[in-house]
Amino acid sequence: MFALTVLFLIMTKLRIIGIKFMNNKPKIAIYDFTDCEGCEVKLVSLGKIFKILLKKIDIINWRLGQERAENYPYDIAIIEGAPIRKEEVELLKELRQNSRMLIALGACAALGGIPSIMPEADRKIWYEKIYGSGYAPKGIDAKPLSAYVKIDFSVHGCPIDENEFLRAIEQILAGKKPSYRGHSVCLDCKIKENECRIIEGKLCIGPITEGGCGAICVSGGSPCYGCFGMREEANISALKKIFENIADKKEAERYFSMFHSRSGLS
Amino acid sequence: MLTQKFIAKIEGHGELAADFKNEKARLVTHEGERLFEGILVGRAEEAYWITPRICGVCPVAHNLASLSAVEDAYGIKVNETTRQLRLLMKCGQNLQSHVLHLFFLALPDYLGTDSGLELETKNPRAFKNALILKNIADKIVYAAGGRNVHPTTTTMGGFNKIPNKNELQTLLNEMEKTAKTAEWTAELSQKLEYPELKTDLEFIVIKNKKIFSNKNESVNIKNYKENILEETRDYGTAKFGKFNSPSGKREVMAGALARIALSKNSAETAKKYRLDFNNPFHNIPAQLIEILKYHKLAVKIVKKLLTAKMDGVIAKPSHNPPLRGVGAIEAPRGGLYHEIHLNEKGIITHANIITPTVQNLSSIEKSANTLLKQTQNKTETERKKLLIMLIRAYDPCLSCAAH
Repeated sequence: MFALTVLFLIMTKLRIIGIKFMNNKPKIAIYDFTDCEGCEVKLVSLGKIFKILLKKIDIINWRLGQERAENYPYDIAIIEGAPIRKEEVELLKELRQNSRMLIALGACAALGGIPSIMPEADRKIWYEKIYGSGYAPKGIDAKPLSAYVKIDFSVHGCPIDENEFLRAIEQILAGKKPSYRGHSVCLDCKIKENECRIIEGKLCIGPITEGGCGAICVSGGSPCYGCFGMREEANISALKKIFENIADKKEAERYFSMFHSRSGLS
Repeated sequence: MLTQKFIAKIEGHGELAADFKNEKARLVTHEGERLFEGILVGRAEEAYWITPRICGVCPVAHNLASLSAVEDAYGIKVNETTRQLRLLMKCGQNLQSHVLHLFFLALPDYLGTDSGLELETKNPRAFKNALILKNIADKIVYAAGGRNVHPTTTTMGGFNKIPNKNELQTLLNEMEKTAKTAEWTAELSQKLEYPELKTDLEFIVIKNKKIFSNKNESVNIKNYKENILEETRDYGTAKFGKFNSPSGKREVMAGALARIALSKNSAETAKKYRLDFNNPFHNIPAQLIEILKYHKLAVKIVKKLLTAKMDGVIAKPSHNPPLRGVGAIEAPRGGLYHEIHLNEKGIITHANIITPTVQNLSSIEKSANTLLKQTQNKTETERKKLLIMLIRAYDPCLSCAAH
């Protein structure tokens, strides 16, 4: 009987990315590196649902939300923002080593996002222009978390869609590996009955972007810059070819680099 | 661990460095430099898409300030529907930001909990009302802006998409249902005890395209750069701003308390709500009162829109536009300034942003020093707690400050 129990425990541990929470709540830490904190604001927007979620998880460290700040180990470290300062990069590595699962929250963490538009080589010029000469910079570069450590899952978006965050957490709590939607933004657009931007002769990264955002930007009349991250089998070169017929090279480059200057897309 | 040094429950990463003996306090900003002014150069008018990402607590304010800057540069005059919808977004924004700051960051200090989420058990009414208000604030911004954080419907010259009358009527019904809750927040301001502090506060506020101070001085917003001077300090990544008026350079406070102090009914409001314009802690009751004010204003705007003819036409650039523009707005935390220069191809060649928190940082440190002078009889732990409460009362947004 004892051997069976041990075997069961080992198997459940192995079944998913090493996380099976038996009766006790997973210990979660929410960290934010340099960013706008808008994805955390989206978590608060969950309101009552977030409170219900708190019955299933234990947030033991969350600077923005509470004074309580317990040290690792964590079952899940949720990280928002791009590590720009050296200390943030070091902390990220520490968190990776001491958390069973590491989740990137939002475009800055997952892709580098808006801050990564600034090329590393240009930072020096801008430090001087913005802060004046003699300023001792604190930042190194704005890169996604994956430039430094392995990420187990990304909750995408700029900002995230709070329901996609819930979906991922629910999957984890159910003992599953969190999964992506497996379709592009195009499906979200069809559901919303939006006109196709590409057919209208406008740039759009939707066809190669992971869905789940509800095509909220295109529905509002804005462009899709692909903040939900690239799909696994994205046919990037085909989309770039279509772009050649729509816009000049510079405009297309600007378009791709909104969220993807460090994701290998542009 | 690195996190412990950051002050909990404020927007962004700040560290308090206090010298209790010499009565000097500093607020050190540890945000990385994102260099937004540099990011903008080389891009097109999409500045209004990029700058909301400076701050997720006040993204709508950045969106509106950038829109107004690029429209100024292109000589665009927007129509009345656009003006009203943007004003509605601003009301929603100030509500969102105040509710988030009050109930999730600052008020737990006054209501005896650590996190805002714990209020559910310790003060269920406050918790319930906080959620009701957050929800209605989000709905207002959704209705006009397309999303509660980082708007999707706004564009240069107007809106990509405007709400229809049915959507506005639904919003109005929801707002009317929450009117009592907004009244409750203004009453709540009377039930809390604020720490004592006597300072000589100077306020600053934007009204009718002018920057006003309570020392009876005003300057045109176009001259914001000469009148709000920024300086770099050798500690932290945020700059510190001072008001450079004709009579000298001084620390100023921006935000809710400043707006009330410089409003037409300031004396009346102060009397009704026992507001003390010499105590920066009173920025908290001021925000509670403003929740009622912005809620009422939002109701008024939606009613007006319901009877008006909605005009969804996007205004076009004028001939020979100046290609240099300034956009200024009273954001939740005070005056926000965006300046944008473009070349003839429509590419940004220069950008400058001054945020409310930059202006407040100098005032925060000045008030913190005063607090240390006036609390000599207290223990170091008590003084530290008060300093942190003071910083929270100013509602600093360090993501904005460093940008």
